[in-house]
Amino acid sequence: MSFLERQLEDLVRLRRIKRTFYVGLGLVALAEIVMPLVFGAGHPHFAFEGIPAWGSLYGLVSCIAIIVISKLIGKVWLMRSEDYYDE
Amino acid sequence: MNVVWVHPGLLLIFGAWVLPLLPRRAKRVGMIALPAAALIDCALMTPGTYGAVSFLGQDLVFGRVDTLSLVFSYVFSIIALLGMVYALHVDDDSQHLSALTYAGGALGVTFAGDFLSLYIFWELMAVSSVFLIWLRREPAAVAAGFRYLLVHVVGGLFLLAGIVLYWSQAGTLAFTDMSAYAGTAGWALILIAFLLNAAVPPLGAWLPDAYPEATVTGAVFMTSFTTKSAVYVLIRGFAGTELLIWLGAIMAIYGVVYAVLENDARRLLAYHIISQVGYMICGVGIGTALALNGATAHAFAHILYKALLFMGAGAVLRMTGLRKLSDMGGLYKTMPMTLGLYMIGAFAISAVPLFSGFVTKSMVITAAGESHLPAIFLMLTLASAGTFLHTGLKLPYFMFFGKDAGVRAQEPPGNMLAAMGLTAGACILIGVLPGLLYRHLPYPVDFAPYTLLHVTSTMGMLGFTALGFFMLVKHLDPERKISLDTDWFYRRGATGFLALVSEPLRRFEYDFVGEIYEYVIRRPVLGVAALLRRFDSLVVDSALVGVGRSTQHLGQALKTAVSGHTQQYALIMAAGALALLLLARFAA
Repeated sequence: MSFLERQLEDLVRLRRIKRTFYVGLGLVALAEIVMPLVFGAGHPHFAFEGIPAWGSLYGLVSCIAIIVISKLIGKVWLMRSEDYYDE
Repeated sequence: MNVVWVHPGLLLIFGAWVLPLLPRRAKRVGMIALPAAALIDCALMTPGTYGAVSFLGQDLVFGRVDTLSLVFSYVFSIIALLGMVYALHVDDDSQHLSALTYAGGALGVTFAGDFLSLYIFWELMAVSSVFLIWLRREPAAVAAGFRYLLVHVVGGLFLLAGIVLYWSQAGTLAFTDMSAYAGTAGWALILIAFLLNAAVPPLGAWLPDAYPEATVTGAVFMTSFTTKSAVYVLIRGFAGTELLIWLGAIMAIYGVVYAVLENDARRLLAYHIISQVGYMICGVGIGTALALNGATAHAFAHILYKALLFMGAGAVLRMTGLRKLSDMGGLYKTMPMTLGLYMIGAFAISAVPLFSGFVTKSMVITAAGESHLPAIFLMLTLASAGTFLHTGLKLPYFMFFGKDAGVRAQEPPGNMLAAMGLTAGACILIGVLPGLLYRHLPYPVDFAPYTLLHVTSTMGMLGFTALGFFMLVKHLDPERKISLDTDWFYRRGATGFLALVSEPLRRFEYDFVGEIYEYVIRRPVLGVAALLRRFDSLVVDSALVGVGRSTQHLGQALKTAVSGHTQQYALIMAAGALALLLLARFAA
């Protein structure tokens, strides 16, 4: 078993990886909120950049928005069977 | 100052035709040596104007060398070299010939100082790149190649029409900034042609249609040249055109939206080309020094990491024969190196810190910020999240991880891994030492990408995008379907047009126009012809016949003079002699 296989196939290790991921996310969000307070706000070009943890928030919102809207457009309009163009 | 200047594009094009004549080992060496020579040529060039030729009273400039064309020439020759390393194992000479001609054409476009030489190399690129699709030699590829050629020929016609109109207006063929002629017909036609090659929607459906059908190694070349040379000419001629800001931002989201729906791995990556080129076009539209620097830098980085991504997907295609994500899964067990190198490309495109995308994409987004364009800023950032979602999460998850499809493959051949490794190294190098790239950008760079705030903000965005992905991963299962794009209009829509044309037009042609033709033209002409024939036979023929008959009668009459009686002959001779004597006596 290769290194990656050992990490991913074992449930215990996989759960540990997931936990590390969530902890990391929390740390990044925290850093994003704390950094401007400690180091100064930099040069925000827009008002919404001042929202705490703006990057994390917009990342999550964008991701969900893209998935939901694209799937909707696909289901309602764009997706066709694979042999649509074959006559 | 007599400087010998070798056009790197012509070096590649003519060298490409020599390659098939070489024996096998020399050919392999040549395949590497040619683009390497072109790269060295570009590196040693100094800015100036070379290769000026006078043709039909116009000045053609084949070698306009300045910072902008130099930086594009560097990346074009680098990727030509890396692509040939990737394609070393391919035994198909035509592919190498097409690829090198295509690369040479792109270099020709980069150094073209006037519209005519631009047009020549533009068409050369289209014609040589279509072979990289056709040479896959499968029915789907042949059909896709024809559609690709059709679209690019139309684009070339738009370009030619625009050039002619611009020439008649401006009086010169020199290719410079065209903002003075904004809004005129020539300007618009040239812009449309450039936008078509840059795959801007609605003119860009050819890209996701054709690129997945290209050969494994050919696709690496195709992703690099057509769209990026279009970005170059847009920077050169259309910098600051406001329309491009909105087109670019919409394009960035367009690509990302379609990529959610895609099942074919290389088609998903092709939609991401559209998305990333959107950033470049947006930068061109914004037009500030930072924006144009960003567009150029992003083009440079994009060529490298997109080639790496296609190399990875192509390696999977070659080793497993699979192209649809729904068929793949569990490949991390047997292709870990490909996975690792692919992920470097994925991190680069997603603008993860320490990779090339981070130092280039942020230039364009910051330029949007500095120009106070909040909607554009939000759209581009949204597209960034989407890019990581697809290229960094969805594609590797369903290709390498996910539910194991039971496919066991090997790592690709050494040359492919070497090419991927070198390209990955370049992506990391630019990310870690951005100054190396910034030094070559057309405008002086006053931008520092590695600020603490920027890095944390990016990490946050990427991390929470990943969270969103894992939350919704069940809904992202690739479906065995295709998505419709604007190529529907010339694939399906055209059959409606033909149906409209064939019945009514056919009836009009045969019944109405045909009848008129019958009565107005055909019958009178035939009548006159019959008249002339009668004249011919009655008058002319009978005259000839009459002459013949008279001669015959005369001959019959003369026949009686030849009777065979000697007395008669003696009588005639005597009569004749008497007549002559009398004549001599009385005529004197």
